[in-house]
This record gives sequence, structure tokens and C-alpha cells, in this order.
Amino acid sequence: MRFVLALPLLRVAAMVDFRVRSQPPIAAWIFGIVGVALLSSASGCRSKDGSGASTLVLAAYTTPREVMGNAIIPAFVSSWRESTGTTIAVQESYQASGAQARAVAEGFEADVVALSLTPDVNRLVDAGLVRETWDDGKDRGVITQSLVVIAVRPGNPRNIRDWADLARDDIEVLTPNVRTSGGAMWNVAAIYGAAMRGHAGTAKDDPAAAEALLASILARVKVMDKGARESIVNFENGVGDAAITYENEVIVAQQQGRPVEYVIPSSTVRIDAPAAVVHRYAESHGTTAMAEAFVAHLSAPDSQKAFAEYGFRPVDPTVKAREFPPARDVFTVDDIGGWKKLQEEVFAARALYDRALAKGRPE
Amino acid sequence: MSPRKARIALRTGVVAWMVILVVVPISGLVLRALASGPAAFWGYVVDPVALAALRLTFGTAALAATINAVGGTLIAWVLVRGKHPALSALVDIPFAVPTLVTGVVLVALFGPQAWLGQVLIAVDTPIVFARPGIVLAMLFISLPLVVRTVEPVLSELDPAEEDAAETLGASRWQVFRHVLWPAMLPAVAAAWVQTFARCIAEFGSIAALSGNIPRETLVASVYILGELEAGHADAAAAISVVLLVLSLGLQPAASALVERRYARV
Repeated sequence: MRFVLALPLLRVAAMVDFRVRSQPPIAAWIFGIVGVALLSSASGCRSKDGSGASTLVLAAYTTPREVMGNAIIPAFVSSWRESTGTTIAVQESYQASGAQARAVAEGFEADVVALSLTPDVNRLVDAGLVRETWDDGKDRGVITQSLVVIAVRPGNPRNIRDWADLARDDIEVLTPNVRTSGGAMWNVAAIYGAAMRGHAGTAKDDPAAAEALLASILARVKVMDKGARESIVNFENGVGDAAITYENEVIVAQQQGRPVEYVIPSSTVRIDAPAAVVHRYAESHGTTAMAEAFVAHLSAPDSQKAFAEYGFRPVDPTVKAREFPPARDVFTVDDIGGWKKLQEEVFAARALYDRALAKGRPE
Repeated sequence: MSPRKARIALRTGVVAWMVILVVVPISGLVLRALASGPAAFWGYVVDPVALAALRLTFGTAALAATINAVGGTLIAWVLVRGKHPALSALVDIPFAVPTLVTGVVLVALFGPQAWLGQVLIAVDTPIVFARPGIVLAMLFISLPLVVRTVEPVLSELDPAEEDAAETLGASRWQVFRHVLWPAMLPAVAAAWVQTFARCIAEFGSIAALSGNIPRETLVASVYILGELEAGHADAAAAISVVLLVLSLGLQPAASALVERRYARV
């Protein structure tokens, strides 16, 4: 049993994003190996005592790692102790959203998932792990918001103001690979949506114009990293003139004293990141109540305040933790047709994204 | 247990072990690749991005294997004809370092945050996030293969043969051409094939330093990861099978060369 549980964890560890900010790779390796050992021994313990009600497994994408570990999880552990008298442990796993969703679908038994986009949670609904009603609440399962922005060098020396500037031939752009990164899909949705809404110097509702804009920006992309975090780390290390990224990633980098600024394009997408209880696994672990309480905790004002301190825009508009710069045209994925339509028309094999990539980079 | 029975038991054990370890997973891979039929398989392989990735991978791996075949043979020669324990230890380092770390280190050295990288970018010959970086990573990770394959063969060579040739009036070049080269060719060829196979399979270091731009710097292994993550397991399996067939196809050629060498002795 112990082994069976440890195997998917080993797989997960193999895929985990090591290049975490401020951690040298070797330390990350050791950390990873020790983490796997701890996780596998803990899952062994759980199967022994049978009840399993003292550990909660969280499978998340990489971006909220710091805020989860430093603020939200400790607060949950202490409030759970106050209300129930039991001390719990939360095991955390972080990797790219798509990879995380696949790991959970293939047997990584997480009680709660926090992913970077709704379709990744819906994959778990399709796998029969998450209930179809997970996004019925008032925030539709969304726990944080952010914007797709353009990170630039201090003082914006290349005078990058909007999407069209990324197509200039003196600019090198960083954006992750859409096949591996949820963040990259948000980036493409932002450019596509801005063009379709007629805010990027393009005709409104013209897919050909949107494809042309995307092609001209993709032609300037120098590095396509596996995930959003690797991409911003490469940018901080001096690669490229601009990086398409999340507003909160830049804010965290600034908080750590890194010299990076950002520009909000004239039109951009609001990033809605969801969390959900993985009911099937939680029920088999006897952790359903705890998992539901944790997901509710993510939307509570204190957690929203913590998210805001780490640069996310709070879902709860009454939470005021920091001032965010104003944005001109902000749209949601539903405003541009919803994820299903985007998957079919933009991200499917040989659809708009693939065509734009081929056009931007002829052989 | 009689010796005969022991021999049968050993043989059965070995076969079972190989089946579990190699045959089952590889059959699974091939079945997966062909799950949607041969037409779909062919479609995955001739996808323009996949084809470009395969061409890039084979091209860079062939170049890296050739450079290392020359460089590694020279290193092996130096190790055999002199006592250099420190140099010998250095040769094995690439196998001891996780390849992802190799990639990160090369970016740190040749990327824009290092003076060396800045100079290279200023003269418009970038190493990392460009094709030369892929070859560099391959050279590093596969260096021990050539050295350790060629070294034992070189150490078998009898310097007396060279002396004899020289006594008979052969020039240095003739000694190399007619005495040394025929003896070492099979080992160098075998090492080339091993290096090539290792290079086309390389993932970690290249993912970190190549830039991974489809049609430009995206190699097959990183392409495979992308297809897997996007849920296109069939396409990933198809490209893996192409890599597998090519490395397997070259192996018999290399073994034949090595056997020819021992047939001569």
C-alpha cells in the first residue's frame, strides 16, 4: 500500500518544477528527494491508522506556493485546531497546472486542488474525481484573480506600451509553452481577446486579424519555458526585453527587490484561478469535511487579504490590502466565448495558435 | 540442483527480468503509438513541428557525437599513454551531475547575466537559447561515453607495433593511418552510436537552455513532453518510437563493427 501510494508521488517529484526562485538547484533536488520520502512515509502512516483524518493533501500550481506555505496553510491549521481540537498536517505539492491535473487524474490522491485555470479542474470532473457542482458557488470556484501583463526592464527602456509593441522586430519576448503551461494559455487568451475586442489596433471580431497579431508576437518569442515561473526567472536573469506574465508574479518579484516593472496593456484578460475538493479521494481518506473547510478558507477575507499581499487581485471586492493600478479594458474568458470555444478554436491541434506559430516562424 | 538445472533457472530468471524491465514497457509504448492506426501514427510523425524537432534532434546529435568521437578519443589517448588520475576523474563528472543542473549552469555561464554570454550576444553568436547550446549540452552530457568506450581498446594496443612500423620507415601519419586507426575504428564507431543515442534522448539540460521554440530550437524530447502534457499521448508515443527505432537500428551496425575488430585479433 505504501509503495502504491509512493509511486505516483515519485512521478510527481520527477516533474516538479525545481527552478524555484531563490533556491539553488542542488538544494531543490535534495529538498525534492526528502519531500518524497516524507510524503511517502506519511501516506504509509495514513493507511495504517485507517481514519486518515489528520493530513490534508493539497495539489496546486506553482504560483501560489509562497502565499500558501507562509500564510494561508498555517492560518488554516491553527483555526482547525481551535474549532476541532485536532492538529492536522497539510502536505503540499506544486507543479505546472496541467501536469498537476494529470497527476491527480492518474492517481495522485490529493484532497484539494488549486489550479491555474478552470479547464484543468474540469479534467478532474471528467475523470469522476471532482463533483460537477464544484463551481456552483458565488465565485464559481475561483479563489484568486490577476491580470495578464507585460513585464519590462526598469524604466521601460524599450518603451513597450501595448500588445502591438511586442511585435516590433527590436523586441525579444518570453512566454511559456501553451502545451505545458496554464499561464501560457492565459497569455494567448489575453492577446487573442484584446484583438477580438478591437483593442489592439485590430478590427473587432476578426479572427484573421487576431491570428495575425498573435503570429507577429510569437515571431518575437525567444524562449518558451515549461512553466510561467521558469519564464519569469529567465526574464529576471536578463533574457529578453519583455515577458508576458501574471501581474502577481511581477509584484512578488518586486517585493523581493528584483528590478522588474510591468505594463498593463490597453486590453487584457482577468485570470481566474480555481480551487476544488477532490471528493472521490477525500471520501476515501475520510477528509471531506477538512477539505471543504480548506476550500472555504481560501475565500475567507483573511486568506483573500493574504493573496492580495502576494499580488493577487482579491475575488472579494471588499478586501482592500493594496492598491492595484487601473486597467482600461479587462475581460473574462467567458466574455470571449468561454474556455470550451477557446480550446476548440484557438488551442486545439492545428487551430489558431498552431497556425499563428507556423506563420510567425516560417521554415 | 544439477548444473544443467541451475543454468536453465538462471536463463529463465534473466529472460523474465528483461521482459519485465524492457519488453513490457517498450511494447506498451509501441502499442500506444499505433493505437489509432498507422495512418494516425504517420500523421503524428509528419506534423511539421514534430518533423522539424526530429530533424533538429538528429542533426545536433550527429554533430555532437562526431565532435565527441574526435575529442573523446584524444582524451582517451592521453589517459592511456600517461598517468592522469585527476583528468580521469574529471571525465566522469558529466554522469554525476543531474542534466537539468547542467542546463541551468550553462545558462548561467553563457546567458545574458554573465559577461561571457554578454560578449557572445554582442557579437551576435548566442550560445544558449539557440542551436549551439543544444550541441554544447549534448557534448557535455555524453563526454564520458566516448572516453570510456575507446579507452580500453587503446590500452590494449601494443606500443611495440608502432615502434616496429617506425623502424620500418613509416612516418607518424602512416603509423596512425595503418596501425592505430584500423585498430581503434570499431570502438570509435561504437562510441559514436552510443553517444548519438544518448544525445537524442537527452531532455533536462536541453529543456533548460535551448529556448524550446517550435521549428527552431525545440528538440524531440521536449516536444514529446509538450504533447504528453497537452493530453496527446499517442503523438508523444509515436515520436518516441521514431527515436527508439533510430537508436536501435544503429546499435547492430555498431556491434557488427566491434565484432569485426575482435575477429581480426
